Amino acid sequence: MKKELKFKVNGQPYDIFVEPKKLLVEVLRDLVGLTGTKRGCNSSSCGACTVMLNGMAVKSCSVLALQANGAEVVTVEGLATGNKLSPLQKAFLDHGAYQCGFCTPGMLMSSTALLAENPKPTKQQMKEGIDGNICRCTGYNSIIRAVTAVVKGEYKEAK
Amino acid sequence: MSEYSVIGKRVHNVDGTEKVTGSAKYTFDVVMPNMLYGKILRSPYPHANILKIDTRRAKRLVGVKAVVTGKDTLGRKQGIWRRFPELCDEEILCRAKVRYIGDAVAAVAAIDEDTAEEALDLIDVEYEPLPAVFDPMDAIKEGAPQIHEGVELNININRHIEWGDVDEAFEKCDHIREDKFKCSSQAHVCMETHDAVASFGHNGKLEAWTSSQSSYYIQRLYADMLDMNESDIRVHNRHTGGGFGSKFELDSAQFCAAILSQKLCRPVKIVLTREEEFTATKRRTPMYYFLKLGAKKDGTMLAKEVRVITEGGAYTAMGATALYLTGFFSSFPYKYPNYRYDGYRVYTNTATTSAMRGFGAPQSTFVGESQLDMMADDLGIDPVELRRKNGMTPNYEVPGQAFIQSCGLHQCLDKIEEHIKKQGKLPPNHGIGVSAYGFMSGGIFNWFNTPYAFSAALVRINIDGKVDVYTGACDMGQGSNTTLSMICAEELGVRLEDVRIFSGDTGICPPDLGAWGSRQTLMSGNAVKRAAAECKQQLIEFAAAKMGANIVYDLDIKDRWVHLVDRPERGVSYFDIVKETIRGKDGVAIMGRGHYTPHRKGMISPAYSFGVQAAEVEVDPETGRYKLVNVTTAHESGTVINPLGIEGQLEGAIMMAGGYGFCEDQPMDEGKILNPSIADYKLIRSLDMPETDILEIDTYEPEGPFGAKEAGEGLTNPTAGAIGNAVYKAVGVRIYDLPITPEKVLKALKEKEKQTKKAKK
Amino acid sequence: MIKDFEHFAPKTLKEALALLAKYGDDCKVICGGQSLLILMRQGLVAPKYMVDIKGISELNYIKDEKDGLKIGATTTHRAIEKSPVIKKKYPVLVEMETRLASIQTRNWGTIGGNICHGDPAGDPVPVLIALNATLTVAGAKGKRSMPVENFSLDYFEVDLKDGELLTEIQIPVPPPRTSTVYTKFNIIESDLATVSVAASVTLGSGDGVCQNVRIALGAAAPMAIRAKKAEKVLKGKKITEALLSEAGEVAATETEPISDIAASEEYRRELVKVLVPRMTKEALARAKKA
Repeated sequence: MKKELKFKVNGQPYDIFVEPKKLLVEVLRDLVGLTGTKRGCNSSSCGACTVMLNGMAVKSCSVLALQANGAEVVTVEGLATGNKLSPLQKAFLDHGAYQCGFCTPGMLMSSTALLAENPKPTKQQMKEGIDGNICRCTGYNSIIRAVTAVVKGEYKEAK
Repeated sequence: MSEYSVIGKRVHNVDGTEKVTGSAKYTFDVVMPNMLYGKILRSPYPHANILKIDTRRAKRLVGVKAVVTGKDTLGRKQGIWRRFPELCDEEILCRAKVRYIGDAVAAVAAIDEDTAEEALDLIDVEYEPLPAVFDPMDAIKEGAPQIHEGVELNININRHIEWGDVDEAFEKCDHIREDKFKCSSQAHVCMETHDAVASFGHNGKLEAWTSSQSSYYIQRLYADMLDMNESDIRVHNRHTGGGFGSKFELDSAQFCAAILSQKLCRPVKIVLTREEEFTATKRRTPMYYFLKLGAKKDGTMLAKEVRVITEGGAYTAMGATALYLTGFFSSFPYKYPNYRYDGYRVYTNTATTSAMRGFGAPQSTFVGESQLDMMADDLGIDPVELRRKNGMTPNYEVPGQAFIQSCGLHQCLDKIEEHIKKQGKLPPNHGIGVSAYGFMSGGIFNWFNTPYAFSAALVRINIDGKVDVYTGACDMGQGSNTTLSMICAEELGVRLEDVRIFSGDTGICPPDLGAWGSRQTLMSGNAVKRAAAECKQQLIEFAAAKMGANIVYDLDIKDRWVHLVDRPERGVSYFDIVKETIRGKDGVAIMGRGHYTPHRKGMISPAYSFGVQAAEVEVDPETGRYKLVNVTTAHESGTVINPLGIEGQLEGAIMMAGGYGFCEDQPMDEGKILNPSIADYKLIRSLDMPETDILEIDTYEPEGPFGAKEAGEGLTNPTAGAIGNAVYKAVGVRIYDLPITPEKVLKALKEKEKQTKKAKK
Repeated sequence: MIKDFEHFAPKTLKEALALLAKYGDDCKVICGGQSLLILMRQGLVAPKYMVDIKGISELNYIKDEKDGLKIGATTTHRAIEKSPVIKKKYPVLVEMETRLASIQTRNWGTIGGNICHGDPAGDPVPVLIALNATLTVAGAKGKRSMPVENFSLDYFEVDLKDGELLTEIQIPVPPPRTSTVYTKFNIIESDLATVSVAASVTLGSGDGVCQNVRIALGAAAPMAIRAKKAEKVLKGKKITEALLSEAGEVAATETEPISDIAASEEYRRELVKVLVPRMTKEALARAKKA
């Protein structure tokens, strides 16, 4: 039996009915229609589905959608403000911190959550911040360089 | 200062903004009106006859729209080696026999994925299990189960390469080493699993969206398997979430979606699960390697003999090419005057092995570079020096095989030597290992039997001066759309933002063999460059007439300025010239065509890249655990078109190739892959990633566009060997089989300790 | 594919226990779901009813009390990792948490869920054993408590009877001059343990005498275990390299490791032999500084 799910995605309130077995990633992609959030595994291992739930990075394939009842969810589509990219998005572009791009939404969400929590992370903390996300293309170091550039304030004007 | 205005600049990828905003649409994201979802039933047996398939219960399930089996196909067999019909051996939907755990036997289309999956449980398949064989060394024996009818000793294909007089040369050697190695398998682990949306219309034409490295191959193989005209099939290549060699053969998602859609005339989407991705798609070829290497006291390598037996798995796929290339690249990057290779690809009842980034060369480089270090040790010669003494140089001919024009191997060796010296004395249990490598810039071979040019492109200039490039090349994340756009912009004298690229859509783009064998920068790049040049020529003709310049002057276009080469201030706006040229041509947009097919460039590739890598490890001698501390690479790939792209290729290759050396493996039990999930298949993550440094080497490849050559796959070759050599330098043990796990290192350390004690007694 | 189920989200422990009593065997408790949802996707677990205790705030707390630390079962890993009081008084818990899976998992996954999952390679249990922790479970008939080392029964099997819920973890105040450390061996940093070792050492007033020691091993048996014989080797003695090495050898005999794709049984024993002395020594060194 479907149950009511009231939550906000990227600031937009939704009031929908979902089957209890639906995972947050499925609701975001199939019902809310935001396909930026990806799925790459079936074992909570790859991080491609990472979103922010009440400000925390979570793997949306490992959260029942109903557990997001009353919560604020931010997906990759919520990072830019109008046509202005977020500092991390700009830094990812400048540092080539993506290739095929399939892990990129998850990487951006993990990095965004990291900086929201700790605006001055050490390199080790940055690595920890994205360790739950697999990238098969970049080798991670360009992502760390992008995050570092933001931490150093190189993208302040982009706010 | 660079003479170029576009290439060599650090630019955003042309599709970068879409990728960082989540708006990039992959096949995974495609949703169409009236679309159904498909799932595939796979064999639980490694080898069995299919006696009966009863789909009635599945068809009765509410929401199921169609169930198909091999009987619903034409019964044809696909293969990439189309020149050799006997090597086209994969039905995809098996009719009478399954040959590995994961072979497809039926497919379902239903209103949603869950229903389709539920229906799979309702398909009753009666199998007659057959004796199976998993190791190629067993499969090649007399009396082993025969996997394909009429294939003696399960030998799928053999390759022989030889030059010089190997036997005579060994007689002259002062020292000969014989070593055995075993290279493991590796999974591609593309973040986007194989997927396809196939849509047949009532007109009998097929449109497909799929995550692929070669839309043309998929189109052609669809045509073969469905007995259709190529032109009635349109394959779109959306953003592709990684390929690495796994996505240029017709796969079960593509084929089953099409068969289902043909029946229903509705779009059908199939996305393979991660488990299917691990068990039922192709993978890197495991190889048994037997090496004999002979040298003079002074380190001159006189002869090398290589025998390889590869685990083919159930079907040929691109594995035959891997067999060939591992044999050729076993001679790399050295000048062996005498060389012999014999390779056998053997069918086994395991998942098919095929192309994966490096394509046979990571294996040959691991074993070759390990053995070379052992030889250096035996001869008391510094490993870098030994490589220098025998390394390839520019304008070298690999006898009867290949001609190497540009080659920066020696500069790379110098840089790496400098890097190692700079590290000074290392802390205890640290070691730096070196590995040298080379790779091809696109293959010359045409086993696919295409009647088309290997690469082709169209360039069109519109009235506003903006440029459209049409290419069959596929961007799977490596950034070819950006590189090709840069080449076009540079050639045409416009800015990168003036160029828009349409790629991998067989409906509008000229055929191109696609993204494999590191071919796109050189081959597709040349095609794009020539197409752009043809457009430019038309503009220059009009400009020359308009400007009334003396005919002795050459004209060129740079940064949107059409001008006299010798007097750059004399010129006119590119945009004005475009408008006038189109008007002058009776309103026809300016079009240029370009193509590239290598001719008289040997048997392998028109150009080769080279490099040397140094890996530093820190070993815990009590547990065998080691840490990848740093990987420094000196790489030369000719002119760098897209520096950000090359850096990305380089660092990413280390994640993948380091993984091949360090942790990635596909252990099996009776043909069943034991770790078919990302939880169990170990991948290097950010905390495990070593520091990476790049030492740039300048070279210029005359055959490449603006002097460029490959930078995609070669970088996957050296790392496993460098790690093996580093572990040896650190703690004095040699590991002969991949991956180099802590457990193996500890075992070797204990063995060494035992031997030392024995010797002391 | 996850099978359909009915979902309940009780707000209080009492409501949750009532639901568990009502649906018995047909229901499963979910909290963070970080392990459970994987099993459900694989079809290994398919409950008809799901009691979702994630929202029970009365079980979500970290309390530093006179007799020790109390952690509510639905407290997330991340809350433990970031708790200033835990960082100050029980730093080993923070060290353990930072190596537990990924931040995403720690943000949503809970300490109670991890313990109840009963994975012998899980990180918290060996540390809790070394810290001499107890667990409290509640059921329709009331509460009961047990030492954490008695809770795990076998692979993925814990001592929870039908209708019972884990509610709290209690960690006693460690005696003076005590230090507890944890490490896990694996190839990929954030992966599950191939073998893990937690060691707690209490120094006596005398010079360097080990008054008490607790050693716990993860992934070395069907459940996290205490290496009691190894503890005996060290207890009450002045620690020497030879004794440490003996403790490692003895600990290895107490294990019942499996061979799997991560490591062979023999290699796991070797790791225990190396890591037990190493971690005990580390604990000793830190206890001296404490």
